[in-house]
This record gives sequence, structure tokens and C-alpha cells, in this order.
Amino acid sequence: MTTPIVIARGLSKRFGRRLAVDNVSFSISAGEVLGLLGPNGSGKSTILRMLVGNLRPSAGSVTIGGYDVITHGLAARAQVGYVPEDVPLYEAMGVDEFLVMMAGLKGLAADHIGEALERVCAELNLSSVRQLTIKQLSRGFRQRVGIAQALLNKPPLLILDEPTNGLDPRQIIECRELILRLAGDHAVLVTSHILSEIEKVASRAAILLDGRLLAIEELKGDGLQPIDLESRFLALTATL
Amino acid sequence: MNGLGVLYRKEMAAIFYSPIAYAVIAVFMLLMGYTFCAQLFHTRGLSLVPMLFQAAMLLILTIPLLTMRQFAEELSSGTLELLMSTPVSDLAVVLGKFFASLSVVVLMLCLMLAYPMALANFSEPDWGPILSGYIGLLMLSSALISVGLAISALTSNQMVAAVLSLGLSLLLWMAEVIGVLLPQPFDQLMLSLSLDGRFAPFATGAVYLSDFGFFFSFSMIGIQLCVGALARR
Repeated sequence: MTTPIVIARGLSKRFGRRLAVDNVSFSISAGEVLGLLGPNGSGKSTILRMLVGNLRPSAGSVTIGGYDVITHGLAARAQVGYVPEDVPLYEAMGVDEFLVMMAGLKGLAADHIGEALERVCAELNLSSVRQLTIKQLSRGFRQRVGIAQALLNKPPLLILDEPTNGLDPRQIIECRELILRLAGDHAVLVTSHILSEIEKVASRAAILLDGRLLAIEELKGDGLQPIDLESRFLALTATL
Repeated sequence: MNGLGVLYRKEMAAIFYSPIAYAVIAVFMLLMGYTFCAQLFHTRGLSLVPMLFQAAMLLILTIPLLTMRQFAEELSSGTLELLMSTPVSDLAVVLGKFFASLSVVVLMLCLMLAYPMALANFSEPDWGPILSGYIGLLMLSSALISVGLAISALTSNQMVAAVLSLGLSLLLWMAEVIGVLLPQPFDQLMLSLSLDGRFAPFATGAVYLSDFGFFFSFSMIGIQLCVGALARR
């Protein structure tokens, strides 16, 4: 059994009186895609933001690649490639300029940045837009640039927050294929409020509601009977 | 510090992508040039002391325009979330923005050197007070930038950030006047916090270590508050 890359234990986040995430625990190993599934406001993005050190948990702990995100925040963040929801990028920058900057921030040595850029641009078919500014890009290309920056330092963990939001059907299919392809080299954590998206890409689905983790379902695996995630989701949430 | 150079270059590019920096520099130079000429022709002689005070006041008015977008824009566009997911410290992010803003002010002050140099063509100005005045302006700017950044980190609205930092900067500039109205020991406290009171010796050629220490400490506190605001999110 492989050592998990992410271990979250009893993760909670309180905003004033509201408990946005309540005692959530899970782990992710290399080569697997964990889907965080839940309706809007169920705490998916809050969990991701705690994982990347953007939010401090009210309780619980997270280690990424063996580093605690609070006590060894910088080392933990170096293990993560993160693509936030709606892919916020620096609009006025050129694609290459943005990727060079992100590579520098991720600590890549100057003589490795060119090679890293070539690799991610080839992997995400960005060659045709490298000279454009980000504000000139379509939603699909913006998504690819967002993923490209996340892959620059070959992080063990890739976190994608609602990656298919706003994409057209062809782009959604391409995005799914990309996630499955990336899962070979990385542990991938992907969120969605759409059941079918998680069903198609994830090997396990963590079902969230009102900040609580209701269940973690195995979706893919040797000798595993395929489960109907929709029925399972309805059964789990009907009792609440 | 990991990433500080990259962050500095990013911020410099961001400042000059925006028309705000050009407008700020142009208006600053225009008003300073007007004052210089008006004084020169009106008095037929020139002391640079009033010009240094005018520059200080213009910096109080213009620095909030430079700092307002630094964090507020990143908060509203969501790019701060992306930036803070990289392995760079909060302090490096704040310092990158601080030094970039300070560089714009240094550029403005360098352009302003044209006035004493013009004077040098016709007379022999006393360069000591001019130099101390420029050091004072730089120290004052550093304090104002740290205030502006700390406020910008608290809000995603650029206008709110600009108005609040302008208000606080003016309040601190006028603290001496306010101090006069207060009983002891608050009058002394306000007096010691007055930016005007701390800047005045620099403008008149007197550099005291206490004033230097005040502006330095003030800037450090502002930077620390800004780091605290980021960590609090």
C-alpha cells in the first residue's frame, strides 16, 4: 500500500457562528483521483483553501507529502499545484510571462524554467496562444493555462476546484481526459457539484453536505462492482 | 527570501500596466513644476524648503492611489488565492509590493531632482539640506506605503482602500495640530506621532536619529500589520 500524499484529520473551519467544515478526514494516494462532491456551499472550496494554506483550520490537521500545512506551510505548498475555481489569472500578462512568473514563485531554477514551460505547454496544447495576453484567451484556454501553472514544478498533488465550470461540452470532455491522464503521475483532488463529473474522473468520491463528510465511496478499482453514485448520494442525503 | 525578486518584478510590471502610475507621476511632476516656477518668478529667489513640504503633501495625496490596488485588486479578482498557494511567504508578498511602490516614489523623487539641478545652474545651492529633505521624503513615503498596503490588505474595494489610507495619512500628518487640543500626556503622544513634526527637521537640514528611527519603525509596523491581515484571512 502506498503512503498517502494528503492526510487530513478532523478538519474543521468555523466562520463566526457558522461551521463551514465539520470534522472532515480523508487521505489521497499517488495515482488516485479523489472527487469532493457536494452542493454549492457544502464546504468543498473551504477544504481546498485549507489544504493550500489559504485558510487556517479552526481544528484538525493536514499534511501534504509529510509536511504539516500550518507548521511547514511553504514546504507543504511546494507539494501542491492548485487551480482555484473560475481560474483567477493576471489578465494583463502574456501567457509565457505568467508561466515564467509562476515558475519563479514555485522555486524553479532559472535554467529549468524554459524546459518546464515547453513541457507544460506541450502537455496542455498551449503553443498557439503563448504570445497572447491572458485577457485574450477563451475560457477553455484560461483553464489550460491555470492547469499549466499548477504543473510547472511537477507537484505530487494537483488540486482542481470545479475544473469544468463554464466550459463547453468539448472542453469538458478534454478536461476530463486531462485529469485522467494527470492522475498517472499525481494524486488529484477534484471538486464538483455535478455527480456525473465526479463519476467519470474520480476513483473515490467523498460526499459532502453542510460541511460534513457523509461517506467516501469507491468508484473504480480491481474487482469493484460499479456503484450508482446518484442513488447513493440521494440515499445519504435523504436521511438528513 | 524565496520569490521576492520575482514578486518585485511582477509588481513593477503590474504598476506600469495600469495607467494609474503614469497619471500619478505626471500630476506630481506637473504640480511640482508649477510650484517651482511660481516660486521662482514670484520671489526672484528660491528656497527648496516649501517645495519639500509641497512634495510631502503631494505624496500623502498620491501614495494611496498607488497602494489602493495592491491587495484590494488581487482580493477582488481572486489572484491572491493563486499567489498565496505558491511556496512564498506572506512577508515576501508584502515586501514585493512595498518595494515596487517605493520604487515608483524613488522615480518621482529622481525626476524632482531636476529642480535643484536647475537652481545649480544659476546659484550654488546648499546640497546638505536638499539631501536631507530627499531622505525625509523617502522615509515619509516608506511609512505612507506601509499604511496604504496594510489598509489595502483589509478590503477588496480599491476606493475604500484609497480613502481610508488617505484619511489616516492626513490624520497622522496633522497629529501635531490635533495634539494641541488634547490634555497631557495625550498631547505629547500625538506630537510624537505627527508625520509633519517628524518630517520638518529633514526638510530644514537636520537629520535626527530619532526621526529616522520613527519612520523606520512606523514602516515595519505597517508591514507587519499587512502580513497580519494576510495571515488572518
